[in-house]
Order: sequence, then C-alpha cells, then structure tokens
Amino acid sequence: MKDPDSEAQLPLPCIAPDSGAQIIQLPARPKNVAKARPSKTATDEASAKPIAKRSRSKNLWYALYLPQLRELDSTQQKKYLDQLAGHMQSVSSTVSFHPQALICEIRSSLKYFSGIDVIHQKLQRLIERQLQQWNLADDFFYAASPTVSGSLLLARSGNNVLVYRQENLRSALGQLSTDVLDLNKEQRRRLLNMGIRHLRDIWRLPSDGLRKRFGSNFVNQLNMALGIAAEPTHNYIPPPAFAASYDLPYEIENLDRLLPIADELLAQLCDFLRRRDLSTNSLALSLLHEKRDSTVINIGLRMASRSQQHLTLLLETHFGRLSIPAPIVAIKIEVRKFDAFFAKSESFLENEASRLKPYNDSNLNQFMEQLQARLGENHVKSVSNATQHCPEYASLQLDYKENPNQGGPVAISTEVCANPRPLWLLQEPKQLNINKGRLFYRKPIAIVSGPERIETRWWSGIDVCRDYYVAREHSGSRLWIYRERIGKRNWFLHGLFA
Amino acid sequence: MTTIQNHPDTQLPYQNQYQSAQADTFHGAGSSDIDELIQSNPKLWRGCDMAGQGIHGRSTGFTQLDAILPGRGWPEKGLMEVITPHWGMGELQLLIPLMRSIVEQGKWILWISPPYLLYAPALVQAGINTDQVLVVKLDTSCKDALWSMEKALQTENCGLVLAWQNWLPTKVLRRLQLAADTGDTLGVLFKHHDSEHSPSPLRLKIQDSYSENAGFNESEVTVIKARGNFRSLSANINLYQQA
Repeated sequence: MKDPDSEAQLPLPCIAPDSGAQIIQLPARPKNVAKARPSKTATDEASAKPIAKRSRSKNLWYALYLPQLRELDSTQQKKYLDQLAGHMQSVSSTVSFHPQALICEIRSSLKYFSGIDVIHQKLQRLIERQLQQWNLADDFFYAASPTVSGSLLLARSGNNVLVYRQENLRSALGQLSTDVLDLNKEQRRRLLNMGIRHLRDIWRLPSDGLRKRFGSNFVNQLNMALGIAAEPTHNYIPPPAFAASYDLPYEIENLDRLLPIADELLAQLCDFLRRRDLSTNSLALSLLHEKRDSTVINIGLRMASRSQQHLTLLLETHFGRLSIPAPIVAIKIEVRKFDAFFAKSESFLENEASRLKPYNDSNLNQFMEQLQARLGENHVKSVSNATQHCPEYASLQLDYKENPNQGGPVAISTEVCANPRPLWLLQEPKQLNINKGRLFYRKPIAIVSGPERIETRWWSGIDVCRDYYVAREHSGSRLWIYRERIGKRNWFLHGLFA
Repeated sequence: MTTIQNHPDTQLPYQNQYQSAQADTFHGAGSSDIDELIQSNPKLWRGCDMAGQGIHGRSTGFTQLDAILPGRGWPEKGLMEVITPHWGMGELQLLIPLMRSIVEQGKWILWISPPYLLYAPALVQAGINTDQVLVVKLDTSCKDALWSMEKALQTENCGLVLAWQNWLPTKVLRRLQLAADTGDTLGVLFKHHDSEHSPSPLRLKIQDSYSENAGFNESEVTVIKARGNFRSLSANINLYQQA
C-alpha cells in the first residue's frame, strides 16, 4: 500500500492541533465534517505540514461492526461476512475478517473515491441493502482509525468515529469503556475490582505490572490498538472466477465456424486453470444473439479436467445437436466452480494390471461424457440387480451418473435365485391367447419347465400371485410366461430368454 | 466346377481326371481319390483348409459353432451380423459366453436400444458383472444410436457393442466396420433380414430346427458368410443350456 504523497492531496483534512476536536463524527453527523473542512483552510499551511509529516501513518482502517450477527451460528456468520467482504472489495483490496466485524484499508483508495464520505456512503448503501435482504436489522457501527484494533474497538464502542492521526488514538480510545476489550470473565472482574472503567485508566498504569497481572496478550492488544505493536491481518481472497468473451467481427450462423473461436476461449480458460493449479467440472458457454435471449450451453464433466482437447471435443458434440434461433454476435465462457487439480501419474511400463482395470480410466469417462452430451443425461442407463422377489422390481435401470450403492431406495446385490430368468423382460406383461386348447403367442407354445410360484407385494394393494413357466414357442424362442393364480387366471408373456 | 463341364472345348490337362473324381464323389466313393488329386495338382485345395489360417478367434462356448467358424471362434474385432426372423430366437444366449469373457477382461458391454428391457438377474446368473453393462435407451433416434455405436466401437474400453438395427446402408456398415477395427472392439448388429452385399465380415443366421431325437431343443445356426470360410456352414446347437 503506497503512502499518499502529501497530506494536501487527501480530501479530508487533518484536524489542526488547536481545533481541540480530535474525534470527528462521521456522516452520521455530516455537519461536523462540514465544519471541520474550513478549519483546514484556516490553518496555516506551514505549521500544519511538519505535524503532518511527523504523524503520517501508513494506513487508515475502516471497521464495520455488526452486532446483529452475534445471534447467528458461526457457519451462517461466516457466510454472511464472506458476502459482505465481497461488497467491501469494491472500495478496498485489503479486507480482513474479525468476530462480527470486517475491516478494510481505505487510505489507498481515498483519492480515487475523493473522500471518506463517498466511501462510507457507498458501503452503507451496499451493506444496508444486503442486510435487508437477509431480514436483519440494517444498522451497523463503523469507525476508522490508523490501526486495525483501534478501529475495531472504536466500532465496538458504538461511537461512529474517525480518528485520523495516530497520536490522537490514545485520547480517542481512552474515552471507551473497558467492555469493548476482548477479555475473559476473570480479567473483566479484576479490572472492575481495580476500579478501571475506561481505557484511559489503563494508560496510567505501568505496563510491567499490567503484563504480570493480565498477561502479555492483554498488553499486546492495547499496544496494537495504539499502533505501537505490529498487527498482521489475514486478508480476504475472493474465490476465483473465469469469464472470457469475444465479440465476433460479423454475425455467424454456422456453428462450425464458431468452433475455432470457442477453442481460443477454451485455451484461455485452460491457461487460467493451469496457472492457478485448478480444474473445473462445469462451465457455461453463452452464445449471444441480437435482440434475443442468449443460448446457454452448460457443460458438466464427470471428472474435473483442464484438458483443452477434451473440452473442445465436448463442445463440438454439444454444437453438433444445437440449433440456434438467430445468428451469433458474441460468445462468452464463464466458470464459477473450480476443483483442485489432481495430476494422474501414468505408468512407464504398460503392465497387465493397469490394462485390466479400466474402471477409472479417463478414456471411458470421456466417452461417457460425450455420449451423455449427445444423447442427453438420462438416455444412458446402467443396469443393476436388486434383491426383490417380484420379477418387475428385481432389475433397476438407473442413470449412469447415479451410484446405486449410495443411499439408493433398494438394496443392490449380486444374489439371484437359482430359477431361470430371461435376459429380456417385457415392459408390460402381454396376455397370451388360447387357441384350440393350446397357448398361443406368435406360434403355439409348449411348456418346458415350471412352475415357479411367486407370491409377493400383497402389502402394495396389487397382489402378485403367479406361477411362472419356461415355455418354448414353435419358432424356436424360449419364453417366460406366467399364469395368474387369482382373478381370471389368464396367461401372460413376461420375458424372452433370447 | 460347372464352368469346366459346360465348356468341353477347353482342354485342360487334368480335365478328365477331375470329372471322374467328381463323379466319384457324387456316387459316394472314398475320399482317397480326392486326396490324390489334391496332392498331384498344386492348383487344387480344400476350401475348409483355409479356415483359421492366421486368425485366432475367441471360443464361442459352443463346440459345434467353433468348428464351423474360421479361427475356431468369434473374431477379436470387427462387425458381425446376427440375423433372426424375430427377436428372442436365442441370439443373446449365443453371445453369453463371449460377453462373460469380455467382462472378465475388464471391458464394457454397451447395449444400444435393445427392443426389450435388459433384465439384470439373468445377467448375474450368466456370470456377467452388471457394473460393466450400459444401456442406451430404446427411444434414441437411429442417427444417435449409430453415432453412439461408432463412438463406442472406437473406444477401447468397450469390448462389445450390441445394436438392434434393420436395414443399414452399406456405407454405414463399412463405417462401423472401420470404427471397430480402430478400437479393437467387436460390434454385433441384430437384424431381421439378411442382405447379401453386406460388408460385415461375419454373418450368422439363427433358425428354428426340429429334429426327431433332439426335439425342439436345438436351433440351427448358419454361418452365411465368414471371412476365411468359402461356403456357408451350419450347425445345430442347443442354445438354452441353462434354461
């Protein structure tokens, strides 16, 4: 953070030593600020400068304190603070987290925003709106001072103040009650017993004795607030996001001609991922049209990747079945979700073991992604066997993506009964005719083996009471047929041994 | 053979010998004359000797079928057609041993729009790991199905691709054959009708057969065309060994 060149460049005047007011109320009482302004013009330039040089501190920290967050649980607090930190990034690049508070450095942005008033108003607008969205009280406390802890203590005290110079901090903080300090119960009780109500009472005590009685943390806390001790902060780093767009020089209707351009954008994305050691498993590609909603292609990957070749191939597949409503004027790629990149090591010698285990092979995954991209997510099914007595429920067709072993409604197993089962099952059992006393499907049927009695699902309302037989049609097909044991005792075809 | 008989003017040195040998076979004479003839003339050979030269197939699991296939089994890669008058004539039973060996290799089996629901318990009974079985739904368009078949054939992880398609143009079949060759995979097309000019290297037909001693238990499997065989051969096989 660069120090501003001279005091004169700063839009807010330092308070002249003779003005007496060391604390200015911030825009909560804008009149005071207005009053303070002319005081600078009145001040002799020559006398102000040496003081300014002496007292110039590197940073000005703006603290935002939200007591209403205290009622929420810690994860919720973290989530809210994260979002607010995002808002605060619009005025400062250095935002750090504190309990129920956020602090950002604003001296480096004072010139850009032409004054702390503007910064404060901007923040206030953003934060109030955000708090209203969350249905929280939309008021908050704020303060600005040359130290992080100092700003935090001032904000906690509820006086919305600005302390501009470091040497004024001591007197500004001195007025605060000791309640604002981060103390445990014992320390609090001890301070009370010593008759210390305000911070200025502590200033008067010898630091050696304080250190002995309250521990060095306590003394450090105060020293940091006064700017005597260094105070490192952990800055908020926003999650990465990638967006790249390209305005086409002319309108394109042919998607094949768009491919090289999309490829170029994907190259940028892969470069971005490689530099940050990330990979992604979902990206959104928007094709922008004139006077129409843009066409959005969402590409999801089974395994996070940063291979340009693979992404291009997937995009090509998506383009292959896409029809656009209007010519394209611009193209945009956005990625919001990232994963850490895991490099796979490939064996130097191609051994038998690795050839026999292609389950996690990226080749297969890429093939499956391509297949799903072209046919649609729910067109590729995996087949699994379920422990169900009722024949219709013993086989499951699940979307390939789903892992049937994780929380599925029915147990998947490899156990099957010993009785013959057909390879093909009819979607719906088909009633068989009886012709001249013989069962008839396409041709007459003769029973080969059976019966196998299945009685189940009485609890579901539709009772299953069937005698299953293996039958042979006169054309050579093997059929799986059953006869109902209740009702009309009709014969049905249920499967083909094929 | 017939051309020689129809043109008696053509003077070939072995013509008379040949005719007499043929007459012998027609009258059920011993094969010793034929053997002699083959040995004496290098231009003559037995058609069945060519079978299996340089080709090593994967056993079909049916000895009678192995015997009539070149390479004594299914080809390692390529396209084959199985022709049945209607679905469910035992064509899947015919392929069960093949599927089992492919799954054991760790490869996948892709079923592209089968006409009925694939029933998992039967696969488990047949010893096929259902984790390596994928199904593309029936309501997929023909274009998409062929596209998936081509892609699957090109992918080495898919060992076997099964598809149900009637009436495919020769161009498409050639393309699928090429894809199967690049991916080292075996593609099976199930059809109702045989087309003589199909470029697939192997064409099989399953028909019903009724014999006095076996009753209805056997089906007639005819190898209409196989690269390496010179004539169509057929065998009676009991496809439903387990059922």
